Amino acid sequence: MGKKTGRLVWSILFLVPALTLFCVFLLNPIIQAVIMSFYKWKGIAGAPMTFVGINNYISVMKSGTFWLSLRNSLFFMIGGFVVLMPLAFVLAYIVTSKIKGVRFFKTAYYIPVMLPVTAVGLMWVYILQPNWGLLNTVLKSVGLEQLAINWLGTQTVNVISVVLVNEWIFAGFNMLIFAAGLIAIPSEIYESAIIDGANKGQSLRYITIPMMKESFKIFAVLCVTGCLKTFDLMFSMTGGGPNHSSEVPATLLYNEAFSSKNFGKGNAIGVVILILGLALSIGLNKAMKSED
Amino acid sequence: MKKIKISTIVLNVFAWFWSIVTLYPLLVTFLSSLKDNEEIFGNMFALPTKMIWQNYADALFSANMIRSIGNSLFLAALTTVCVVLVGMLAAYILARQKYFFVKPVYMLFLLGVMVPIHTTIIPISKIAASMKGYDTYWMLILVYTTFQLAQAIFLMTGYIKGVSSEIDEAATIDGCGMLGVLFRMILPLSKPIIATVSIISFVYAYSELVFSVILLSSPNKYPVSRSLMYFKGDYSARMGPIFASIILSVLPLIIIYLLFHEKVQEGMMAGAVKG
Repeated sequence: MGKKTGRLVWSILFLVPALTLFCVFLLNPIIQAVIMSFYKWKGIAGAPMTFVGINNYISVMKSGTFWLSLRNSLFFMIGGFVVLMPLAFVLAYIVTSKIKGVRFFKTAYYIPVMLPVTAVGLMWVYILQPNWGLLNTVLKSVGLEQLAINWLGTQTVNVISVVLVNEWIFAGFNMLIFAAGLIAIPSEIYESAIIDGANKGQSLRYITIPMMKESFKIFAVLCVTGCLKTFDLMFSMTGGGPNHSSEVPATLLYNEAFSSKNFGKGNAIGVVILILGLALSIGLNKAMKSED
Repeated sequence: MKKIKISTIVLNVFAWFWSIVTLYPLLVTFLSSLKDNEEIFGNMFALPTKMIWQNYADALFSANMIRSIGNSLFLAALTTVCVVLVGMLAAYILARQKYFFVKPVYMLFLLGVMVPIHTTIIPISKIAASMKGYDTYWMLILVYTTFQLAQAIFLMTGYIKGVSSEIDEAATIDGCGMLGVLFRMILPLSKPIIATVSIISFVYAYSELVFSVILLSSPNKYPVSRSLMYFKGDYSARMGPIFASIILSVLPLIIIYLLFHEKVQEGMMAGAVKG
């Protein structure tokens, strides 16, 4: 065996484990999801599969719950831009400023990102518990009885509650994205702006924010593509309920398949998530690049 | 001058406000873990009048959290080893060789980053059943490894490209084969990126939920996330041990975080911001 062939053989051998895993557990499931979305079947192993054409897709599109789950995803996206973005920006401003205790703040803000989402979800389920949960206890003790509602049992309110818990978790993470952008701005620019007579608000408006375009782009991509991937938090806090009011596409997929045993319909939802996800990722990346 | 002072005060106030918003829920959970039901249902806000440390013993041994935490640590450790090993092998070729298939393979892995995991859960449960991998750890570890691989390969390939290839050449002249170059030269030089990838994989596998829900059925195999789901909605049980379970399950990650917080933050950022 020559040196050159040896190198080729080793190169292929090195790639084989990764490629095998990828083909078996990623490409193969995706192809199967597409194929099986055209069938009707009631069980994982051994159940007979009947070809039903695009019936699964029709029943997904006709289902109000599916559109509701997309609306709920949209809530996550809106929450991201309206709550998370300004919040993370302010936190980034704090941890890159010169106030006392910056190290403590930076460490503390990031803690929720580290924790298992299920543990965080469960923790908040108990804090929001209507009868004895912390939030309602506080509300009642300050005389706001009428505000002490069933946070996770009331339609729409439950989605907003989970969106806010989601922002609570990820504020610290997105803070780092903006902090990286803030640090990258050379301090000379601010100094010359002060010499030119700019005040703090003006330098924020005309220097900081325009120079952080890159951070805002990264945030936008992560926020938009991330909202379709929401599962763990909703699953651990509401499970999509009550009465499917807080389903997101991924929990709906899970419930259709593993609770209602409509595996074909679950796969159809999976394919819709896949197409939407790829379209959003590729579309956003293209849009962001062409802007440069 | 006065203006600057006001803005500093506002900044300080908000900094402390958000620290409290972040830490207080954890503190309440901890305090509740030392109470009995009467005190939790009575006033969650109040401090415990007597510390019931027995709740922790009950969580660990009666609710078997010690087993779940052990399971999660085991899954996380093995997944991390697999991701690093398989990832380094592939990344080394993708960074160094120029065969015609290198670029397409790299693009394939990149595509993997974009695939929504949940699309695959039904087919994967079917594959697991047909491979006799249902309710086994090796199946779970292979699936976890696959879903961490795309990101790991992306990060590692980028890093190895930055390591001078003169090192490879020198080692080859000294008689090292490709395995030798990778394990004796590249691996030690790539320690920073291996640490990054390890942290991301470990945290992911420790906390993972959906695959453990669809692939495991024996409660004694449950990792922490799966075990915690068990408690949800059960208000008739003794709440103290449930709160203790939450605290216990987050403890390993908190310890890792407090020990290596800069590396953790840096690593998880690198993982998410892939360009």
